[in-house]
Amino acid sequence: MTDQEIIDQWKDQDAPLLPVLHAFHDRDDYLSEEAIRVISTGLKIPLAELFGTITFYHHFSRSKNGKATPRVCTGNVCRLNGGKEMLEALKSEGATPMPCSGRCDDMVPVLHGDQVLVGSDANSLDHRATPLPAPNPGGSEECVFRHIRAEGRHTLAGYRASGGYLGLEQAVQGSPEALVEIITDSKLAGRGGAGFPTGVKWKAVAEAAGNPKSIVCNADEGEPGCFKDRAIMDHDPHALLEGMILAAFATGAHRGFIYLRYEYPETQGILQQAIDEAHAANLMGDNILGKTGFHFSLKIVRGAGAYICGEEGSLLNSMEGKHPFPRNRPPFPVTHGFEDLPTVVNNVETLASASHIARKGAQWYQGLGLGDHTGTKVISLSGDIQRPGNYEVPFGFPLATLLHDWAGGPRDGRTIQAVTMAGLSGGFLAGDDLEVTLDEPCIRGKGSFLGAGGIIVFDDSRDMVQAAHDAMAFFAHESCGKCFPCRIGTQRLTERLNDSGGDLALGDWKDEVEDIGSVMKATSACGLGMAAPLVTESLLRYFPDAIETHLSCR
Amino acid sequence: MNQLAEEIRVGTLTLDGEPVDFREGETIYEVSERCRREVPTLCYDPRLEAFGACRLCVVEVEGIRNPVASCTTKATEGMVVRTRTKTLEKHRKTLLELVASENRDTKVDELSGYASQEMNDLLVRYDARTGRFGGKRSGTSNSKDKNPFILRDYDNCISCYRCVRVCAEQEGDHAINIMNRGFDTQIITEFNNDLRDSSCTFCGQCVQTCPTGALTDKKAIRAKDTPGEIKKTRSVCTYCGVGCSVDILTKGDRVVGIHPAMDGPANEGALCIKGQFAFDFVHHPDRLSKPLIKQEDGTFKEAEWDEALQKAADGFLKVREKYGNHAVYGVASGRAPHEAAYTMQKFIRAGFGTNYIDNCSRA
Repeated sequence: MTDQEIIDQWKDQDAPLLPVLHAFHDRDDYLSEEAIRVISTGLKIPLAELFGTITFYHHFSRSKNGKATPRVCTGNVCRLNGGKEMLEALKSEGATPMPCSGRCDDMVPVLHGDQVLVGSDANSLDHRATPLPAPNPGGSEECVFRHIRAEGRHTLAGYRASGGYLGLEQAVQGSPEALVEIITDSKLAGRGGAGFPTGVKWKAVAEAAGNPKSIVCNADEGEPGCFKDRAIMDHDPHALLEGMILAAFATGAHRGFIYLRYEYPETQGILQQAIDEAHAANLMGDNILGKTGFHFSLKIVRGAGAYICGEEGSLLNSMEGKHPFPRNRPPFPVTHGFEDLPTVVNNVETLASASHIARKGAQWYQGLGLGDHTGTKVISLSGDIQRPGNYEVPFGFPLATLLHDWAGGPRDGRTIQAVTMAGLSGGFLAGDDLEVTLDEPCIRGKGSFLGAGGIIVFDDSRDMVQAAHDAMAFFAHESCGKCFPCRIGTQRLTERLNDSGGDLALGDWKDEVEDIGSVMKATSACGLGMAAPLVTESLLRYFPDAIETHLSCR
Repeated sequence: MNQLAEEIRVGTLTLDGEPVDFREGETIYEVSERCRREVPTLCYDPRLEAFGACRLCVVEVEGIRNPVASCTTKATEGMVVRTRTKTLEKHRKTLLELVASENRDTKVDELSGYASQEMNDLLVRYDARTGRFGGKRSGTSNSKDKNPFILRDYDNCISCYRCVRVCAEQEGDHAINIMNRGFDTQIITEFNNDLRDSSCTFCGQCVQTCPTGALTDKKAIRAKDTPGEIKKTRSVCTYCGVGCSVDILTKGDRVVGIHPAMDGPANEGALCIKGQFAFDFVHHPDRLSKPLIKQEDGTFKEAEWDEALQKAADGFLKVREKYGNHAVYGVASGRAPHEAAYTMQKFIRAGFGTNYIDNCSRA
């Protein structure tokens, strides 16, 4: 395609910048200076602003043949499994490191252009499908994984064979208000980590003034140790689409977007195929299922490597082609979302859950939790554990049962020293606190949170100060650079964990780390800066001796 | 200050225990400023959209767990706000110590720019310990940028993005922006070129809003070591008819720099390259300081104003007498304000009886 053909294809569409950048990046294998000038003129974005925005994303290459050079995952799980050695082995091919790329239940992933290869070392790299969740290990009833293991579930025929789109067919027989009520009654809440009640969100968008409204699926699964959305999208894409169509019906939105992280190139193809199938079957498009006036179309927007774009304000800015800083809140996306119009932003797991709930009812979903808890949560389990993978647990499920009974416990001869919560964002749990149950009230009681449900296991062979450093280095790498406490705080905390901050005595060290942590938690502008100090806070709580040893060994 | 007239009052909140009225759309910060609370800020410039980056302006609001940025939070009815608790003041001090830790030095000369003392003043006010939180410094200076006006010393940058925002929102140039993320953030032009290769018009507004002196007025700073106090004199820029208010900075009898007047009704802190930087003519040896009259042999002789004006008037009259009214053609200067332009056309029309009057800005 010529420059002008690319610009013409996108310039009058919604959210054109990222697709245009990808089109040039794919065609030329990098973003050349000429390309950037052409895009600036074509999309009427000031050159300096466009250039600055491009540099925000770490996967856009600005040197020749840059896209094709391998990117090796040296994320917080992969560095336990030989990620750094893999990087070293591929250095001769120009390999560069990338943060966690969401494949922590497999060997080390390497991104080669638009293909993910996995292997334990450079000689065993192989292209293979995303691992399926293991057969239901506990026998408890599942929601999102209910049919995911069924043969051909990713096709429309396979999806329908196990009851897919029945929920939608039922819903359109009733009113949008009735659907919102079902979702509200089910007590489904945001599964991306924030836990906002989904029904309340949909209702707010349905009632908000302004059109067109949008449904945005947050599929920017960037949290280290989280890989559940990838499994859902790769093996059960129609469940996500059905959830989005339901959300559209409930709110009156006519346009939808899936913001998909760059590191999931194969997923884009799977989703696109599902979207095409759904269009052909009148499950998307105009007058869906024969219902006059029910229009909805969906497009995939591919990210380009920036963890913060999983924060909804950043995500919306990124889609709009702006510098992806988080937005000041209020106002919230339900009234001022994509293009400042009412917008639902939901996580993949939330939307997939909604399609099951629409079919089986609110009471059914509520009943899936243990005790007073309602519903289920997918946990991505990785690190030093026998059987890493995605496990759907009822809320209120004991962590120890998940670790030892479902996932086989630690590696032979080892014991579990600590686990992270919410990927890295919840910091560590250790000691007696490993006896928690998997639900927010219990885990928040320990100063952490369940969040998106990533749990990384560290056994007794690991240096916890090093683990904390690597976690903080991730946050420093991904801090957007807007608010002062996060931009400077993540950097200074990283330096305090690797001693490049000067020769501090233990007392001063603690003093500085605690002061930084407390100002970050209280004053940061978004969740990244508020959560990052949980890493040092939990390190100080559970491993004071390790810190002392670390400082005295300098 | 606490009470507003009925027609502009939309609600009342409690500010540090006192009931305070607020206007439509007012933020907590604006209310606090009006009530002289002196809430500290570094990323705030009243002319720009509130940004919420420095977090120094955070205040406690009852019912909200974390402190909120007062600059981005709108006042609402019945809100209970505290602007200066012990916890807030401790956070502010820690934030200032963190910010100070990323800069090479915090004391900069006043001639650097209008807002250049903001950061240092806050460090003093909060008795913030510089030297705490040691580690890597941020920003990469671009001191080799080949331009005669703006020094780009990003070793002293704190990434408040006031320069980027003023360039986009006030000047509309979009010449500079933000490169990279997090601690690696830098202020750059497109492709990280020099300013003169960008769409910069050298209006200098970035310099004047910079709170640390990272951006410095290269011309003013030449007088750094000139002895004497800096005196500021309010005046109006002489370059064009807009009438931008300026504060002329002098040391002794020398003009050393220009500050835009933030309260200037025509410019609200904006200037152009000429008003901001082109003041050297004042002391230039070639500058004419007396009228000159051209003589028969083509040389000039110095004269007094009365003699010179008489000579000019005689010339005009002679032309009219010889060739008629329409032989005179007036061109008013684009630098002249409205009133002077009016007087000029009156002079030509009423004085000479011709409509041959024009203005150089029409060319």
